[in-house]
Amino acid sequence: MPSDQSTAGDQDGIDTPRSRGWLASPAERERRLEETGTEPDPRFSWANERTFLAWNRTALALIAAGLAAAQFLHLNPHGLRLIVAVPLIVLGGVLALASYVHWEDSERAIRLKQPLQYSWMPRVLAGGIVIIALCGGILAIINRIVH
Amino acid sequence: MTQAPQFDPALARDRTALAWTRSALSMLAIGTLIARAAFEADLHALAVIAAIATLALALVTWRQGNSLYRERAVSSSEPHHQPGALGFLMSTTLLIAVVALVVTIVL
Repeated sequence: MPSDQSTAGDQDGIDTPRSRGWLASPAERERRLEETGTEPDPRFSWANERTFLAWNRTALALIAAGLAAAQFLHLNPHGLRLIVAVPLIVLGGVLALASYVHWEDSERAIRLKQPLQYSWMPRVLAGGIVIIALCGGILAIINRIVH
Repeated sequence: MTQAPQFDPALARDRTALAWTRSALSMLAIGTLIARAAFEADLHALAVIAAIATLALALVTWRQGNSLYRERAVSSSEPHHQPGALGFLMSTTLLIAVVALVVTIVL
């Protein structure tokens, strides 16, 4: 570690691995990441990147599912389809944001040779899909019985 | 850092580039869905804008994957971590979510 006592203090990644400015620019984020730990095997970085991309596609798929639900569910009254569509889209948005945060945390851990943190995303995704599926199923059955 | 490319039996770089390509394709698909939903909701201007914007964003995403191949061509074994590109994709997805939400509620 360089020993500059005056300016940087201990705000670099070593001491506070989870410190991150939420609104830092991409260049600033990249610089901060590069200052953390050592260069890992590139394959690790790529694996981490592919994981992020897979989560991002999951998020896009959820948004697509929400859009499809809004168009193809014919519930009466009309607004009922929002019960299925809106949570799907919101879940997609939340996962898109969380997967980026998770990528950065993982990248930092890889560079510091620390164990990777478990993510809450699989639990939220599984739970979310179960709840939305139940809502959709119940709505469809009720709609069928009433009309 | 002018060494030959690392031996990469698992084709990690290729798989990553292909993952970017899949992401670009997903974005095209969702652009179609948003445009269709916006037309149904009589938001014609939004439909056209959404279609063009997602097409452009998908192209940028696709190019991002291709840039990995270009890096291989110049035999750089440096790992690239690219918060810029990943952050861009994340912001794009959030934007798509917001537009999808608007279209869904108006529909």
